[in-house]
Amino acid sequence: MSKKEKKVFSDGSEIIENNRSLDDQLSIDLQDVDIYDGPVAIRINKLIKRFGNFTAIDNLSLIVKYGEIFGLLGPNGSGKTTTINIISGLSKPTSGQVIVLGNDITKDLHTVHASLGAVPQETALYEELSAWTNMSFHADLYGVVGSDRGKRITEMLNLVQLYERKDNPVSTFSGGMKRRLALARALLHDPQLLYLDEPTLGVDVQSRRAIWDYIINLKEKKGKTVLLTTNYLEEANALCDRIAIIDHGKLVVLPNTPAELKQRYGDIIMDIETTSSITSQLVMHIQNISGINSVTQTNNILKITMSGNDLSSTGNIISLINKESNIKRISQREPNLEEIFLSLTGTGLRD
Amino acid sequence: MNKIKSTCIYRYIRVILAMAMKDIKSSLTERAFLLTSIIIPINFLLLFLLFALTGGQAPTALVVEDKGPFAQQFISAMEHSNSFIIHQTTSSDAQKLLQLGQIVAIVTIPANFDMALKHGSQIELPVIINNLDVDFTNDIRRAVPLAITSFYANAFPNQVAVKAYEIDTYTHDTDYVHYLVVSLMVVSIMLGGLLQAGSNAAREYEKGTIKELLLSPANPLAIQIGKIVGSMILNSFSVALMIVVIVFLIGVWPQHWDELFVFTLLLMITFVTAGLIIGTLVRRRQAVVPLSIGLSIPIFFLSGAFGPAIWGDPVTATVTQFQPVYYGIAVFQHAFHGFTTTPTGLIVDGLILVVFAVVMVAASSIVIVNVRKRGVAAK
Repeated sequence: MSKKEKKVFSDGSEIIENNRSLDDQLSIDLQDVDIYDGPVAIRINKLIKRFGNFTAIDNLSLIVKYGEIFGLLGPNGSGKTTTINIISGLSKPTSGQVIVLGNDITKDLHTVHASLGAVPQETALYEELSAWTNMSFHADLYGVVGSDRGKRITEMLNLVQLYERKDNPVSTFSGGMKRRLALARALLHDPQLLYLDEPTLGVDVQSRRAIWDYIINLKEKKGKTVLLTTNYLEEANALCDRIAIIDHGKLVVLPNTPAELKQRYGDIIMDIETTSSITSQLVMHIQNISGINSVTQTNNILKITMSGNDLSSTGNIISLINKESNIKRISQREPNLEEIFLSLTGTGLRD
Repeated sequence: MNKIKSTCIYRYIRVILAMAMKDIKSSLTERAFLLTSIIIPINFLLLFLLFALTGGQAPTALVVEDKGPFAQQFISAMEHSNSFIIHQTTSSDAQKLLQLGQIVAIVTIPANFDMALKHGSQIELPVIINNLDVDFTNDIRRAVPLAITSFYANAFPNQVAVKAYEIDTYTHDTDYVHYLVVSLMVVSIMLGGLLQAGSNAAREYEKGTIKELLLSPANPLAIQIGKIVGSMILNSFSVALMIVVIVFLIGVWPQHWDELFVFTLLLMITFVTAGLIIGTLVRRRQAVVPLSIGLSIPIFFLSGAFGPAIWGDPVTATVTQFQPVYYGIAVFQHAFHGFTTTPTGLIVDGLILVVFAVVMVAASSIVIVNVRKRGVAAK
């Protein structure tokens, strides 16, 4: 099922790894789409989207459980936004099925739209108009009428701490404020499901933290289901109950919790800094030690991914390295999601 | 059941009003585009008026070497021919003006003009023509003999045996500018509608706000009607300004205000809706402006702007009947002057305009429903 494989990257670093049989795992986990019988907010089944000869989404299947924050990760151009556009009816699938809150998006888009709150990547705010006018227009489009209308708008603006700026044109807002306003607008009609496309793209660190807090509150205090796309792994780690990583329109990491993913795709990483680089023969030798998943060497730093919690081979590794060089520093840590992505796709997150 | 129905209607109307108000507010904040949409149609009107005023008459120097009564009568005949812009000057100054390219021709009334006519002698009028433009050259070649004929008919009525006996269809003549200005108003409504609505529709795509509309559960037809209403209200500023210019500046007073109001409304619906379709399809305001102007100019020339289209080339006269400006000019000529310029007549022309308006609204709704079905996201 598994085999050793050597990859050389453009920066000169190389990796020798045990190639996990992802197809096997996919075939097992995809069955979850069919067998999961809990409440489902979104069910995507064998979704394909083509633009001419280009396949943007390639046979994608996944479920988003009711009441969870689900993260769809992937580099730019991986198919995240296309997937989310299809879920919201902004783009039509070439084939496959998408069920949102029990409604087939190709048949009952109106019902889907009524129960969906959306924060598109570009926010879709009328920047020339005031925050209040934007909210008021949204209220009219979504049928939020009656005596509660003004109260509801006030409540939402207060939620994102923008009530004081209600009469200012949105064009005068910072990126973070615009995102918060878009979030308030998406919540105005009290949707069951919220989709956030790159919710903190271009937002400063402070605003990012505030937006994260709002999103977590949506789930914890209001019981909303949230689907978000991001290419910030840190964001997914902080917010999501489960994440899936897609690249070139395909799942490369199956839906799982961030902790489980770390556990599953490389348990421990050992960083060893040496005084001089070691030969590729020695790298290969280390790779062949039982329990080693991959070995990379970049600028005199060896990164060794070890499976399980078995550190018994550590002494053996140190002895081998000392034959060619001297060790300056050794550290042990969990892999971050960037490394998981790298190990699965062979590329880093593209900007 | 009735309550549900009335709630639906209330929400439908609410979406229309919200959409219209939103578009008006957005446009008012973007003054450059608003001014463009108002000024370009007015510019169009003024530009063609200038063209009509200057292009119709040739600047001509008149050198008068005889002060006698016949010479004066001939000057009067030239002045009333509506073909010359006359500059009375000396021979040397006239030569200078010709060399500088400021006049098309020099007509000289020789010193022996009166004497020769009294004695029944033949006399030659020297006419020097700057024949660099055949259009003006031919104007002079036609106008000088006509002035001579006119002069003879007035000066020697007994010697002119053949006279035209004119019976007019209408009680009064209509000035060329007064006829043209009505056609210009129609094409300006077209241009203003296309620009205003096209910009309103394209702005949604340009700024990505179309997603807010397409993701909403609001009825797409209500959204589209709201956009039509908003653009019409904005377009009405331009139309009102044009009416003020035509009525108070140029002095063309409509004979039938009711017709003017109804047909203006119909044309605005048609062209505003066409503008929405264009804006939705091209999705860029910068493309809307040249496209609107590029469409308006040829249609203006095709539609019988300078005289009834049916008097022109038969192929053109047939082709032009498939577009609304032709009928717009016809009904406006009736509203302003009481003229009938098409074989179909006012009622049929008006009904055809109703059909155009309905078709355009339907087409516009199909376009927006199609956008929603196919999805707005390119990728």
